[in-house]
Amino acid sequence: MSFRRPAAIIFAAGLVVIAAGTAGLLLTRHSTPAMRPVAAGVGALPAPTGPIVAAPQSAAPRPVAAPVSLTIPLIGVTTKLIKLGLTSDGSLQVPATTSVAGWYTGSPRPGAIGSAVIVGHIDSVSAPGVFFRLSELRKGDQVYVRRADGTLVKFLVTTVQQYLKDQFPTRAVYGPTPDAELRLITCGGAFDDATGHYLSNIVVYATEAS
Amino acid sequence: MRFPRTIRHITMLLAAAALLLGVPAAVAAHASTAATGTGWIRLAHLSPNTPAVDVYLYSFGNSNAQLVLHHVTYGTVSPYEAVSAGDYSVAMRSAGASATSSPVLSTSVTIAADRAYTVAGMGPESGLRLVVLDDDLTTPSGKSLVRVIQASLKQQTVKFTCSCGGTLASKAAFGSVTSYAPIPQGTWTMAAIGSSEKASLPVSLVAGTVHTEVVLDGSNGLEILNLEDAAGAGLPPAGGVTTGFGGTAGHGPGSPVPWAALIGAGFLLALTGGLRLRRRGLRRQLHSEV
Repeated sequence: MSFRRPAAIIFAAGLVVIAAGTAGLLLTRHSTPAMRPVAAGVGALPAPTGPIVAAPQSAAPRPVAAPVSLTIPLIGVTTKLIKLGLTSDGSLQVPATTSVAGWYTGSPRPGAIGSAVIVGHIDSVSAPGVFFRLSELRKGDQVYVRRADGTLVKFLVTTVQQYLKDQFPTRAVYGPTPDAELRLITCGGAFDDATGHYLSNIVVYATEAS
Repeated sequence: MRFPRTIRHITMLLAAAALLLGVPAAVAAHASTAATGTGWIRLAHLSPNTPAVDVYLYSFGNSNAQLVLHHVTYGTVSPYEAVSAGDYSVAMRSAGASATSSPVLSTSVTIAADRAYTVAGMGPESGLRLVVLDDDLTTPSGKSLVRVIQASLKQQTVKFTCSCGGTLASKAAFGSVTSYAPIPQGTWTMAAIGSSEKASLPVSLVAGTVHTEVVLDGSNGLEILNLEDAAGAGLPPAGGVTTGFGGTAGHGPGSPVPWAALIGAGFLLALTGGLRLRRRGLRRQLHSEV
Protein backbone atom coordinates (compact mmCIF):
# COMPACT_ATOMS: atom_id res chain seq x y z
CA MET A 1 0.00 0.00 0.00
CA SER A 2 2.89 2.39 0.78
CA PHE A 3 4.09 2.69 -2.87
CA ARG A 4 0.65 3.92 -3.80
CA ARG A 5 0.55 6.68 -1.19
CA PRO A 6 2.29 9.48 -3.20
CA ALA A 7 -0.25 9.08 -6.03
CA ALA A 8 -3.12 9.11 -3.55
CA ILE A 9 -1.71 12.22 -1.89
CA ILE A 10 -1.38 13.96 -5.26
CA PHE A 11 -4.98 13.03 -6.08
CA ALA A 12 -6.27 14.23 -2.71
CA ALA A 13 -4.23 17.43 -2.94
CA GLY A 14 -5.78 18.07 -6.36
CA LEU A 15 -9.27 17.70 -4.91
CA VAL A 16 -8.39 20.07 -2.05
CA VAL A 17 -7.01 22.67 -4.50
CA ILE A 18 -10.17 22.40 -6.64
CA ALA A 19 -12.33 22.88 -3.56
CA ALA A 20 -10.27 25.89 -2.46
CA GLY A 21 -10.41 27.45 -5.93
CA THR A 22 -14.15 26.92 -6.16
CA ALA A 23 -14.68 28.43 -2.72
CA GLY A 24 -12.53 31.43 -3.63
CA LEU A 25 -14.38 31.90 -6.90
CA LEU A 26 -17.79 31.79 -5.21
CA LEU A 27 -16.76 34.05 -2.33
CA THR A 28 -15.50 36.81 -4.63
CA ARG A 29 -18.48 36.68 -6.99
CA HIS A 30 -20.50 39.22 -5.03
CA SER A 31 -20.23 42.87 -6.12
CA THR A 32 -20.78 46.21 -4.44
CA PRO A 33 -23.99 47.67 -5.85
CA ALA A 34 -24.00 51.07 -7.51
CA MET A 35 -25.65 53.95 -5.69
CA ARG A 36 -29.03 54.31 -7.39
CA PRO A 37 -30.46 57.73 -8.12
CA VAL A 38 -33.76 58.53 -6.43
CA ALA A 39 -36.81 58.37 -8.66
CA ALA A 40 -37.27 61.12 -11.23
CA GLY A 41 -39.29 63.99 -9.83
CA VAL A 42 -38.12 63.48 -6.25
CA GLY A 43 -36.41 66.65 -5.12
CA ALA A 44 -37.71 68.48 -8.16
CA LEU A 45 -37.15 72.22 -8.36
CA PRO A 46 -39.53 74.87 -9.65
CA ALA A 47 -38.75 76.14 -13.13
CA PRO A 48 -36.74 79.34 -13.01
CA THR A 49 -38.55 82.59 -13.73
CA GLY A 50 -37.51 85.32 -16.12
CA PRO A 51 -38.04 86.36 -19.69
CA ILE A 52 -37.67 83.40 -22.01
CA VAL A 53 -36.18 84.72 -25.20
CA ALA A 54 -37.43 82.66 -28.08
CA ALA A 55 -35.76 82.41 -31.43
CA PRO A 56 -36.60 85.31 -33.75
CA GLN A 57 -38.17 84.24 -37.03
CA SER A 58 -35.10 84.72 -39.15
CA ALA A 59 -32.15 82.61 -40.09
CA ALA A 60 -29.75 85.54 -39.71
CA PRO A 61 -27.21 85.10 -36.89
CA ARG A 62 -28.57 86.09 -33.50
CA PRO A 63 -26.16 87.23 -30.83
CA VAL A 64 -26.89 85.81 -27.39
CA ALA A 65 -25.18 86.39 -24.04
CA ALA A 66 -22.88 83.82 -22.45
CA PRO A 67 -24.50 81.19 -20.18
CA VAL A 68 -24.15 81.60 -16.40
CA SER A 69 -26.37 78.97 -14.80
CA LEU A 70 -28.25 75.76 -15.52
CA THR A 71 -31.48 74.43 -13.99
CA ILE A 72 -32.99 71.00 -14.64
CA PRO A 73 -36.13 71.02 -12.46
CA LEU A 74 -37.06 67.33 -12.69
CA ILE A 75 -33.77 66.04 -11.28
CA GLY A 76 -33.14 68.88 -8.85
CA VAL A 77 -30.13 70.31 -10.65
CA THR A 78 -29.31 73.97 -10.23
CA THR A 79 -25.74 75.05 -10.78
CA LYS A 80 -23.67 77.94 -11.96
CA LEU A 81 -21.82 77.31 -15.20
CA ILE A 82 -18.07 77.73 -15.34
CA LYS A 83 -16.15 78.09 -18.61
CA LEU A 84 -14.29 75.12 -20.00
CA GLY A 85 -11.75 74.76 -22.79
CA LEU A 86 -9.66 71.92 -24.12
CA THR A 87 -6.83 70.13 -22.33
CA SER A 88 -3.36 69.83 -23.85
CA ASP A 89 -4.25 66.45 -25.35
CA GLY A 90 -7.30 67.91 -27.11
CA SER A 91 -9.92 66.36 -24.85
CA LEU A 92 -12.65 68.38 -23.16
CA GLN A 93 -11.69 70.09 -19.91
CA VAL A 94 -13.93 69.15 -16.97
CA PRO A 95 -14.85 71.17 -13.85
CA ALA A 96 -12.30 70.89 -11.03
CA THR A 97 -15.13 70.33 -8.55
CA THR A 98 -17.86 67.77 -8.99
CA SER A 99 -20.64 70.06 -7.77
CA VAL A 100 -20.70 72.50 -10.70
CA ALA A 101 -21.19 72.09 -14.44
CA GLY A 102 -19.35 73.97 -17.17
CA TRP A 103 -19.96 75.21 -20.72
CA TYR A 104 -17.39 74.46 -23.44
CA THR A 105 -16.47 77.91 -24.75
CA GLY A 106 -15.53 76.40 -28.12
CA SER A 107 -19.17 75.45 -28.70
CA PRO A 108 -22.05 77.81 -29.55
CA ARG A 109 -23.73 79.69 -26.69
CA PRO A 110 -26.95 78.05 -25.49
CA GLY A 111 -29.84 79.49 -27.50
CA ALA A 112 -27.67 80.49 -30.46
CA ILE A 113 -27.81 78.34 -33.58
CA GLY A 114 -25.78 75.19 -33.05
CA SER A 115 -25.00 72.55 -30.45
CA ALA A 116 -23.98 74.06 -27.09
CA VAL A 117 -22.00 71.68 -24.87
CA ILE A 118 -22.34 71.51 -21.05
CA VAL A 119 -20.52 68.89 -18.97
CA GLY A 120 -20.66 67.89 -15.31
CA HIS A 121 -19.46 65.06 -13.09
CA ILE A 122 -21.61 62.08 -12.19
CA ASP A 123 -19.75 61.65 -8.89
CA SER A 124 -16.63 62.31 -6.83
CA VAL A 125 -14.61 59.52 -5.20
CA SER A 126 -17.24 59.29 -2.49
CA ALA A 127 -20.45 61.14 -3.36
CA PRO A 128 -22.85 62.01 -6.18
CA GLY A 129 -21.87 64.88 -8.46
CA VAL A 130 -23.96 67.59 -10.13
CA PHE A 131 -25.03 65.30 -13.02
CA PHE A 132 -25.58 62.16 -10.91
CA ARG A 133 -29.21 61.92 -12.05
CA LEU A 134 -28.71 63.01 -15.67
CA SER A 135 -29.59 59.58 -17.05
CA GLU A 136 -33.10 59.88 -15.54
CA LEU A 137 -34.04 62.51 -18.13
CA ARG A 138 -36.48 61.50 -20.83
CA LYS A 139 -37.83 63.02 -24.03
CA GLY A 140 -39.75 66.23 -23.33
CA ASP A 141 -38.11 67.05 -19.98
CA GLN A 142 -37.20 70.70 -19.48
CA VAL A 143 -33.75 72.23 -19.18
CA TYR A 144 -33.17 75.95 -18.55
CA VAL A 145 -30.05 78.02 -19.11
CA ARG A 146 -29.79 81.55 -17.74
CA ARG A 147 -27.50 83.96 -19.58
CA ALA A 148 -25.37 86.87 -18.48
CA ASP A 149 -28.00 89.39 -19.58
CA GLY A 150 -30.60 87.74 -17.33
CA THR A 151 -32.50 86.09 -20.17
CA LEU A 152 -33.52 82.48 -19.96
CA VAL A 153 -33.53 79.89 -22.70
CA LYS A 154 -35.63 76.74 -22.43
CA PHE A 155 -34.70 73.41 -23.98
CA LEU A 156 -36.65 70.17 -24.30
CA VAL A 157 -34.87 66.83 -24.16
CA THR A 158 -35.10 64.88 -27.42
CA THR A 159 -33.09 61.78 -26.53
CA VAL A 160 -30.67 60.35 -23.94
CA GLN A 161 -27.88 58.11 -25.17
CA GLN A 162 -25.06 56.11 -23.60
CA TYR A 163 -21.85 55.59 -25.57
CA LEU A 164 -18.65 53.70 -24.81
CA LYS A 165 -15.96 56.37 -24.56
CA ASP A 166 -13.83 54.66 -27.20
CA GLN A 167 -16.80 54.86 -29.56
CA PHE A 168 -17.76 58.44 -28.72
CA PRO A 169 -19.76 59.93 -31.63
CA THR A 170 -17.87 63.22 -32.02
CA ARG A 171 -19.82 64.26 -35.10
CA ALA A 172 -23.28 63.76 -33.52
CA VAL A 173 -22.36 65.47 -30.25
CA TYR A 174 -20.13 68.35 -31.36
CA GLY A 175 -20.92 68.73 -35.06
CA PRO A 176 -22.85 71.67 -36.50
CA THR A 177 -26.64 71.71 -36.20
CA PRO A 178 -28.94 74.15 -37.99
CA ASP A 179 -31.08 74.86 -34.92
CA ALA A 180 -30.38 75.81 -31.29
CA GLU A 181 -29.50 72.62 -29.43
CA LEU A 182 -27.92 71.57 -26.15
CA ARG A 183 -25.74 68.61 -25.19
CA LEU A 184 -25.41 67.64 -21.53
CA ILE A 185 -22.59 65.19 -20.93
CA THR A 186 -21.53 63.11 -17.94
CA CYS A 187 -20.12 59.66 -17.25
CA GLY A 188 -22.00 56.41 -17.01
CA GLY A 189 -21.91 52.70 -17.54
CA ALA A 190 -19.41 50.44 -15.82
CA PHE A 191 -16.59 51.86 -13.70
CA ASP A 192 -13.14 50.48 -14.39
CA ASP A 193 -11.39 50.13 -11.02
CA ALA A 194 -8.10 49.54 -12.81
CA THR A 195 -8.05 52.90 -14.63
CA GLY A 196 -10.28 54.85 -12.24
CA HIS A 197 -12.58 55.89 -15.09
CA TYR A 198 -16.08 55.13 -16.24
CA LEU A 199 -16.17 53.29 -19.56
CA SER A 200 -19.09 55.25 -21.02
CA ASN A 201 -20.55 58.71 -21.39
CA ILE A 202 -24.20 59.69 -21.02
CA VAL A 203 -25.25 62.35 -23.53
CA VAL A 204 -28.56 64.21 -23.24
CA TYR A 205 -29.68 65.84 -26.50
CA ALA A 206 -32.08 68.78 -26.23
CA THR A 207 -33.44 71.39 -28.62
CA GLU A 208 -34.67 74.89 -27.89
CA ALA A 209 -38.39 75.03 -27.14
CA SER A 210 -40.04 77.11 -29.83
CA MET B 1 -10.17 -4.19 -6.81
CA ARG B 2 -12.76 -1.38 -6.81
CA PHE B 3 -10.43 1.49 -6.05
CA PRO B 4 -9.00 2.14 -9.56
CA ARG B 5 -12.50 2.15 -11.07
CA THR B 6 -13.70 4.69 -8.50
CA ILE B 7 -10.71 6.84 -9.27
CA ARG B 8 -11.44 6.51 -12.96
CA HIS B 9 -15.02 7.63 -12.48
CA ILE B 10 -13.99 10.64 -10.42
CA THR B 11 -11.36 11.50 -13.01
CA MET B 12 -13.93 11.35 -15.82
CA LEU B 13 -16.31 13.50 -13.81
CA LEU B 14 -13.53 16.03 -13.27
CA ALA B 15 -12.80 16.14 -17.00
CA ALA B 16 -16.49 16.69 -17.81
CA ALA B 17 -16.74 19.43 -15.18
CA ALA B 18 -13.70 21.13 -16.66
CA LEU B 19 -15.47 21.34 -20.01
CA LEU B 20 -18.66 22.69 -18.46
CA LEU B 21 -16.80 25.26 -16.38
CA GLY B 22 -15.41 27.11 -19.40
CA VAL B 23 -15.21 30.71 -18.16
CA PRO B 24 -17.62 32.76 -20.24
CA ALA B 25 -16.42 36.22 -21.18
CA ALA B 26 -19.62 38.19 -20.89
CA VAL B 27 -19.07 41.58 -22.40
CA ALA B 28 -21.95 44.01 -22.15
CA ALA B 29 -21.86 46.05 -25.29
CA HIS B 30 -23.92 49.18 -25.52
CA ALA B 31 -25.28 49.97 -28.92
CA SER B 32 -24.22 53.49 -29.81
CA THR B 33 -26.97 54.43 -32.16
CA ALA B 34 -28.20 57.97 -32.38
CA ALA B 35 -31.90 57.18 -32.55
CA THR B 36 -33.01 60.62 -33.69
CA GLY B 37 -34.12 60.03 -37.27
CA THR B 38 -34.81 63.71 -37.91
CA GLY B 39 -33.54 66.09 -40.54
CA TRP B 40 -34.10 69.79 -41.21
CA ILE B 41 -35.72 71.81 -43.95
CA ARG B 42 -36.10 75.52 -44.54
CA LEU B 43 -37.97 77.39 -47.23
CA ALA B 44 -36.90 80.49 -49.14
CA HIS B 45 -38.29 82.95 -51.66
CA LEU B 46 -35.42 84.16 -53.85
CA SER B 47 -37.18 85.17 -57.07
CA PRO B 48 -36.99 88.98 -57.31
CA ASN B 49 -40.01 89.70 -59.50
CA THR B 50 -42.31 87.01 -58.08
CA PRO B 51 -44.98 88.39 -55.71
CA ALA B 52 -45.46 87.00 -52.21
CA VAL B 53 -46.33 83.32 -51.98
CA ASP B 54 -47.68 80.84 -49.43
CA VAL B 55 -45.34 77.88 -49.05
CA TYR B 56 -46.66 74.46 -48.01
CA LEU B 57 -44.70 71.47 -46.76
CA TYR B 58 -46.43 68.09 -47.08
CA SER B 59 -45.29 64.74 -45.79
CA PHE B 60 -45.41 62.57 -48.92
CA GLY B 61 -48.92 61.22 -49.56
CA ASN B 62 -50.53 63.39 -46.88
CA SER B 63 -52.85 66.13 -48.18
CA ASN B 64 -52.74 68.02 -44.87
CA ALA B 65 -49.78 70.37 -44.82
CA GLN B 66 -47.25 69.82 -42.05
CA LEU B 67 -46.05 73.41 -42.26
CA VAL B 68 -47.46 76.51 -43.95
CA LEU B 69 -45.61 79.80 -44.30
CA HIS B 70 -47.94 82.63 -45.26
CA HIS B 71 -47.12 85.64 -47.37
CA VAL B 72 -43.47 84.86 -47.93
CA THR B 73 -41.84 87.73 -49.81
CA TYR B 74 -38.67 87.93 -51.90
CA GLY B 75 -35.53 87.70 -49.77
CA THR B 76 -37.18 85.71 -46.97
CA VAL B 77 -35.46 82.59 -45.68
CA SER B 78 -37.25 80.68 -42.91
CA PRO B 79 -35.49 79.14 -39.92
CA TYR B 80 -34.87 75.42 -40.20
CA GLU B 81 -37.73 73.15 -39.23
CA ALA B 82 -36.86 69.76 -37.70
CA VAL B 83 -38.88 67.00 -39.39
CA SER B 84 -38.85 63.21 -39.43
CA ALA B 85 -36.65 61.76 -42.13
CA GLY B 86 -38.64 60.79 -45.21
CA ASP B 87 -40.19 62.01 -48.45
CA TYR B 88 -41.87 65.40 -48.60
CA SER B 89 -43.28 67.75 -51.18
CA VAL B 90 -43.08 71.52 -51.18
CA ALA B 91 -45.75 73.58 -52.95
CA MET B 92 -45.96 77.31 -53.66
CA ARG B 93 -49.26 79.10 -54.10
CA SER B 94 -49.94 82.80 -54.64
CA ALA B 95 -50.28 84.50 -51.26
CA GLY B 96 -53.81 84.06 -49.99
CA ALA B 97 -54.77 81.36 -52.51
CA SER B 98 -56.90 78.50 -51.18
CA ALA B 99 -54.94 75.62 -49.71
CA THR B 100 -56.84 73.30 -52.03
CA SER B 101 -56.10 75.27 -55.21
CA SER B 102 -53.53 73.80 -57.51
CA PRO B 103 -50.09 75.15 -56.68
CA VAL B 104 -48.09 77.42 -58.95
CA LEU B 105 -45.11 75.18 -58.39
CA SER B 106 -44.24 72.07 -56.45
CA THR B 107 -41.31 69.74 -55.99
CA SER B 108 -40.47 66.65 -54.00
CA VAL B 109 -37.61 66.41 -51.53
CA THR B 110 -36.21 63.43 -49.65
CA ILE B 111 -35.01 64.40 -46.18
CA ALA B 112 -32.37 62.12 -44.70
CA ALA B 113 -31.72 61.88 -40.98
CA ASP B 114 -29.22 64.42 -39.65
CA ARG B 115 -29.15 66.30 -42.95
CA ALA B 116 -30.39 69.79 -43.78
CA TYR B 117 -32.02 71.15 -46.93
CA THR B 118 -33.04 74.51 -48.33
CA VAL B 119 -35.92 74.57 -50.79
CA ALA B 120 -35.88 77.91 -52.59
CA GLY B 121 -38.06 79.46 -55.24
CA MET B 122 -35.51 80.83 -57.72
CA GLY B 123 -35.20 82.39 -61.14
CA PRO B 124 -37.41 85.04 -62.75
CA GLU B 125 -41.18 84.84 -62.32
CA SER B 126 -41.53 83.67 -65.91
CA GLY B 127 -39.16 80.79 -65.23
CA LEU B 128 -39.76 80.27 -61.53
CA ARG B 129 -38.47 76.96 -60.24
CA LEU B 130 -38.09 75.28 -56.87
CA VAL B 131 -34.51 74.32 -56.17
CA VAL B 132 -33.56 71.79 -53.48
CA LEU B 133 -30.18 72.61 -51.94
CA ASP B 134 -28.24 70.10 -49.86
CA ASP B 135 -26.89 72.11 -46.92
CA ASP B 136 -23.56 71.03 -45.46
CA LEU B 137 -23.40 70.20 -41.74
CA THR B 138 -19.71 69.38 -41.51
CA THR B 139 -16.90 71.88 -41.22
CA PRO B 140 -13.16 71.38 -41.56
CA SER B 141 -11.53 71.65 -38.13
CA GLY B 142 -10.99 75.29 -37.15
CA LYS B 143 -12.77 76.71 -40.21
CA SER B 144 -16.10 77.96 -41.49
CA LEU B 145 -17.90 77.02 -44.68
CA VAL B 146 -19.38 79.74 -46.87
CA ARG B 147 -21.39 79.54 -50.08
CA VAL B 148 -23.07 82.18 -52.22
CA ILE B 149 -26.57 82.28 -53.74
CA GLN B 150 -26.86 84.83 -56.52
CA ALA B 151 -30.49 86.01 -56.44
CA SER B 152 -30.14 89.43 -58.05
CA LEU B 153 -32.03 89.83 -61.31
CA LYS B 154 -30.88 93.42 -61.90
CA GLN B 155 -27.22 92.38 -61.83
CA GLN B 156 -27.23 89.27 -64.00
CA THR B 157 -23.71 88.23 -63.06
CA VAL B 158 -21.98 89.07 -59.83
CA LYS B 159 -18.44 88.70 -58.55
CA PHE B 160 -18.33 87.79 -54.87
CA THR B 161 -15.20 88.32 -52.79
CA CYS B 162 -14.10 87.88 -49.19
CA SER B 163 -11.43 90.05 -47.52
CA CYS B 164 -9.99 86.80 -46.17
CA GLY B 165 -8.25 86.74 -49.53
CA GLY B 166 -10.50 84.80 -51.82
CA THR B 167 -13.02 85.08 -54.57
CA LEU B 168 -16.01 82.94 -53.71
CA ALA B 169 -17.54 83.46 -57.16
CA SER B 170 -15.94 85.19 -60.12
CA LYS B 171 -19.02 85.26 -62.36
CA ALA B 172 -22.07 84.01 -60.53
CA ALA B 173 -25.08 83.99 -62.82
CA PHE B 174 -28.57 84.90 -61.61
CA GLY B 175 -30.13 81.89 -59.90
CA SER B 176 -26.87 80.07 -59.30
CA VAL B 177 -25.45 78.61 -56.11
CA THR B 178 -21.74 78.12 -55.42
CA SER B 179 -20.31 75.15 -53.58
CA TYR B 180 -19.05 75.69 -50.03
CA ALA B 181 -15.61 77.21 -49.52
CA PRO B 182 -13.61 76.74 -46.30
CA ILE B 183 -12.78 80.13 -44.73
CA PRO B 184 -10.60 80.82 -41.68
CA GLN B 185 -12.21 82.20 -38.53
CA GLY B 186 -12.39 86.00 -38.36
CA THR B 187 -14.40 89.08 -39.24
CA TRP B 188 -14.28 89.58 -42.99
CA THR B 189 -15.81 91.96 -45.47
CA MET B 190 -17.96 90.18 -48.01
CA ALA B 191 -18.43 92.11 -51.25
CA ALA B 192 -20.79 91.58 -54.19
CA ILE B 193 -19.85 93.41 -57.37
CA GLY B 194 -22.29 93.56 -60.27
CA SER B 195 -22.03 95.39 -63.57
CA SER B 196 -23.50 98.61 -62.19
CA GLU B 197 -24.03 98.05 -58.47
CA LYS B 198 -22.09 96.68 -55.54
CA ALA B 199 -22.60 95.88 -51.88
CA SER B 200 -20.43 94.90 -48.95
CA LEU B 201 -21.09 93.49 -45.50
CA PRO B 202 -18.83 92.70 -42.54
CA VAL B 203 -19.38 89.08 -41.47
CA SER B 204 -17.99 87.42 -38.34
CA LEU B 205 -17.12 83.82 -39.02
CA VAL B 206 -16.61 81.57 -36.00
CA ALA B 207 -14.89 78.24 -36.59
CA GLY B 208 -17.38 75.40 -36.87
CA THR B 209 -20.12 77.46 -38.53
CA VAL B 210 -21.74 77.15 -41.95
CA HIS B 211 -22.90 80.31 -43.72
CA THR B 212 -24.83 81.20 -46.86
CA GLU B 213 -24.44 84.69 -48.35
CA VAL B 214 -27.42 85.66 -50.50
CA VAL B 215 -27.06 88.44 -53.07
CA LEU B 216 -30.39 90.28 -53.37
CA ASP B 217 -31.94 93.16 -55.25
CA GLY B 218 -32.65 95.54 -52.38
CA SER B 219 -34.76 98.69 -52.43
CA ASN B 220 -31.54 100.70 -52.68
CA GLY B 221 -29.53 98.49 -54.95
CA LEU B 222 -27.57 95.33 -54.34
CA GLU B 223 -27.73 93.76 -50.84
CA ILE B 224 -26.03 90.89 -49.08
CA LEU B 225 -28.02 88.71 -46.66
CA ASN B 226 -25.76 86.76 -44.30
CA LEU B 227 -27.34 83.49 -43.09
CA GLU B 228 -25.86 81.34 -40.37
CA ASP B 229 -26.96 77.90 -41.50
CA ALA B 230 -25.46 75.81 -38.71
CA ALA B 231 -22.94 75.93 -35.90
CA GLY B 232 -20.96 73.45 -33.87
CA ALA B 233 -17.73 73.24 -31.94
CA GLY B 234 -14.98 74.68 -34.17
CA LEU B 235 -12.45 72.43 -32.46
CA PRO B 236 -14.37 69.30 -31.43
CA PRO B 237 -12.93 67.78 -28.24
CA ALA B 238 -11.13 64.49 -28.79
CA GLY B 239 -12.80 61.32 -27.52
CA GLY B 240 -15.05 60.95 -24.51
CA VAL B 241 -15.31 63.10 -21.40
CA THR B 242 -13.78 62.23 -18.02
CA THR B 243 -16.60 63.20 -15.71
CA GLY B 244 -16.62 60.79 -12.80
CA PHE B 245 -14.48 59.34 -10.05
CA GLY B 246 -16.54 56.24 -9.27
CA GLY B 247 -17.83 57.18 -5.82
CA THR B 248 -21.33 56.02 -6.70
CA ALA B 249 -20.34 53.23 -9.09
CA GLY B 250 -20.97 49.60 -8.46
CA HIS B 251 -17.70 47.83 -7.94
CA GLY B 252 -17.71 44.61 -9.82
CA PRO B 253 -16.77 41.16 -8.49
CA GLY B 254 -13.09 40.33 -8.17
CA SER B 255 -11.43 38.80 -11.18
CA PRO B 256 -12.31 35.10 -11.58
CA VAL B 257 -9.06 34.39 -13.45
CA PRO B 258 -6.77 33.50 -10.48
CA TRP B 259 -9.43 31.22 -9.01
CA ALA B 260 -10.05 29.58 -12.36
CA ALA B 261 -6.30 28.99 -12.66
CA LEU B 262 -6.24 27.45 -9.19
CA ILE B 263 -9.12 25.14 -10.07
CA GLY B 264 -7.31 24.19 -13.28
CA ALA B 265 -4.16 23.36 -11.33
CA GLY B 266 -6.28 21.21 -8.99
CA PHE B 267 -7.69 19.32 -11.96
CA LEU B 268 -4.19 18.65 -13.25
CA LEU B 269 -3.01 17.39 -9.85
CA ALA B 270 -6.06 15.19 -9.39
CA LEU B 271 -5.82 13.83 -12.94
CA THR B 272 -2.12 13.07 -12.49
CA GLY B 273 -2.70 11.34 -9.16
CA GLY B 274 -5.79 9.57 -10.45
CA LEU B 275 -4.07 8.19 -13.55
CA ARG B 276 -1.10 6.95 -11.49
CA LEU B 277 -3.40 5.24 -9.02
CA ARG B 278 -5.31 3.62 -11.83
CA ARG B 279 -2.15 2.41 -13.57
CA ARG B 280 -0.83 0.89 -10.33
CA GLY B 281 -4.18 -0.68 -9.66
CA LEU B 282 -4.12 -2.37 -13.07
CA ARG B 283 -0.53 -3.49 -12.50
CA ARG B 284 -1.53 -5.07 -9.19
CA GLN B 285 -4.45 -6.86 -10.87
CA LEU B 286 -2.03 -8.16 -13.49
CA HIS B 287 0.35 -9.42 -10.78
CA SER B 288 -2.37 -11.21 -8.88
CA GLU B 289 -3.56 -12.95 -12.06
CA VAL B 290 -0.07 -14.22 -12.98
